[in-house]
Amino acid sequence: MSKAASRANGASTKRLAEDGDICPVCKSSRYLNPNMRFRVNPECYHRMCESCVDRIFSHGPAACPIAGCKRTLRRARFREQTFEDLKVEREVDIRKRVARVMNKTESDFETLRDYNNYLETVEEITWNLILKIDLEATEKRLRLWEEAQKAEVESINSTVSRRLHTATDTVDPQSDTARVILKKSGVQRKALGPSSANTPEPGAMDTGLKDTGFTFAGLKKRVAPEPEKPFDPYGGWNIEPQYYTVMDDYDVDFISGAKTDVHHLAGGYDIRDFYSRALCEAFSGFGVFVEEEVIARENQASGDVGVGTQTAATVADGGKEVNMDDIF
Amino acid sequence: MKLTEDDLYRTSTQFKHWSFTPSQLAAQRLQTNIQASERVKAAVQRQRAQRAKQLDPASASESDRNGTPVPLDREVNCLTVAEEKKLVDTFCEKAIELGGFFKFPIEVTATGIQFLRRFYLFNSPMTYEPQTISRSAMFVANKTEGHHMPLEKYAAGFPKATSEQVLAPEYLLVQALRFNFDIRHPFRALKGGHLDMIEMARGNAYTFASHILKTAALLTDAYFLYTPSQIWLSAHLLADELLTLFYLSTRLPPSSPLHSKTLTTLRSCAALLSSHHTFTSPTTSAADKAAKDKKEKEEVQLLIKKLRQCRDPDKLDLVKLNQAQKRDAVDGEGLEEKKAKRRKLEREGYQKEADSFWGPELPRRENGAGGK
Ligand SMILES: [Zn+2]
Ligand SMILES: [Zn+2]
Repeated sequence: MSKAASRANGASTKRLAEDGDICPVCKSSRYLNPNMRFRVNPECYHRMCESCVDRIFSHGPAACPIAGCKRTLRRARFREQTFEDLKVEREVDIRKRVARVMNKTESDFETLRDYNNYLETVEEITWNLILKIDLEATEKRLRLWEEAQKAEVESINSTVSRRLHTATDTVDPQSDTARVILKKSGVQRKALGPSSANTPEPGAMDTGLKDTGFTFAGLKKRVAPEPEKPFDPYGGWNIEPQYYTVMDDYDVDFISGAKTDVHHLAGGYDIRDFYSRALCEAFSGFGVFVEEEVIARENQASGDVGVGTQTAATVADGGKEVNMDDIF
Repeated sequence: MKLTEDDLYRTSTQFKHWSFTPSQLAAQRLQTNIQASERVKAAVQRQRAQRAKQLDPASASESDRNGTPVPLDREVNCLTVAEEKKLVDTFCEKAIELGGFFKFPIEVTATGIQFLRRFYLFNSPMTYEPQTISRSAMFVANKTEGHHMPLEKYAAGFPKATSEQVLAPEYLLVQALRFNFDIRHPFRALKGGHLDMIEMARGNAYTFASHILKTAALLTDAYFLYTPSQIWLSAHLLADELLTLFYLSTRLPPSSPLHSKTLTTLRSCAALLSSHHTFTSPTTSAADKAAKDKKEKEEVQLLIKKLRQCRDPDKLDLVKLNQAQKRDAVDGEGLEEKKAKRRKLEREGYQKEADSFWGPELPRRENGAGGK
């Protein structure tokens, strides 16, 4: 567009204009004003210099000064141009906008084919927007889709948070906390339509009946993630003592001091940790008969040669030289 | 997935790499002794040959004039296995005193002693001097047990030792330990057992057992042959036999087949612990003990004198060796010619390998970028 406009100018200014060195509004050129900077507004992508933007739009929204364009522009939306070609600039903007809404990934679909079909649709509406085909209808569908997605995420979030609340306190759902959450999700639902406002379970909201703008075959339904299990530092292993049982408390002189000592207690020290550790150590190896097990281990090691951890045992056999570097 | 106390112990390096049968221990010590003796003999031979070459033009009488009579042809009298062990044991005992002098916690001293014992299982006192090594072992033990001790302060505690002397054998030691720093001690175990037993009886068995653990248990091969659990129970058995037996029967019913086996193991461990000269049962008199200690001391004096005669001449100055190792210096006495050559070859090998991969080094341009 701007290119076409500048071509109409004289041949001498053509090159300069194409390089973007003359403001189409005030005709001042960079030749005279080296600090001149250009701005575009994503509403119509007409370029003009910064001082024109300041002059025309400082008192609020105004019409675009370029002839033939009557769009209302706001000063805040003027920005620096990223791409030299304004068509590219516009396409990138549109793609950004579409990508923010159409943000499914392959894992969201049952099959790769479904995903590809989805991508095809996305590309189609992108080009519709770029080429201005069915502009209004496409925009509307996009908006509907965005809202539907938002509502879905919100309903999942509310189930997760409700799960958290029920996990932490066992109060019935009519309690204050539960009502607060319901109210919050109610706000979301109001945006969608008045019909769902009275539905007690937000997850039960039937999105299939509503117009979501698009329907994609093979799109998995969003499900709330499984509640996280408490972290187990031992990876499923636990110590089951065979020889002892730890009691809650022991009355022994050498620990009576530590039980009340603020230096111990301040850091969260629990004397029972000492009990279980000491008792575990007391019997750790109680049933390990070294002589027997070492011989058994050796017999096994001679079966499979090259077990690294067994080398010490085999070395001790006296047969082989100990594999140790003489560092000196 | 369940783990028992025994499984936990089986995962330790102490069990995996440092537990032996008595015959294995004896065999290993013998082998170490033979290797070290051969080495010492060879090294002394070489030195004599060198000296002979230097002295060749002069007459033999000249060496007499220097006042250093060289016992030219006498065979080196090397230490025996038993003598070696005695020496190591002595220095372990001295390590306890050392720990007491620096007021180290018992865990630090105990770990240091076990390091020392492990080290001398594969190395001979003839090759590496026990005093030097024990200094390093105690210092490494400090670091292992998380007991902070600045090197300078530590080194200053010895009348004639520098920081370098403490550090020089460190890598050697740590390598001989196969980087296994974890030592399972029976001290906390004894406390745990005490907790468990306290319900049955209150006595001074704990104090005595603890004393055994801090002396005899450290100074014998107990750590190599038994598990910490068995060691503390044996010590307790020596301290209060009736109580320990009763306690054992509550933990392990006498009907169990393990009961008699455990008891045999404990008894043999107890025998080992009580065989050490530091062990004093309530029945030994003070005079007996003094006599025993005196005899022990005399024996050790003799051994140390003997050790001086048969030290490996290659390993006398560890500090210098360590520096040479670090610098990779080829000069003179530090590295043998063979080793230096090997290293040089290795270096060239790496270079060649790199060249074949990256291509040879680019020829350097002489006059900057402007050359033709
Ligand atoms: Zn302008
Ligand atoms: Zn415009």
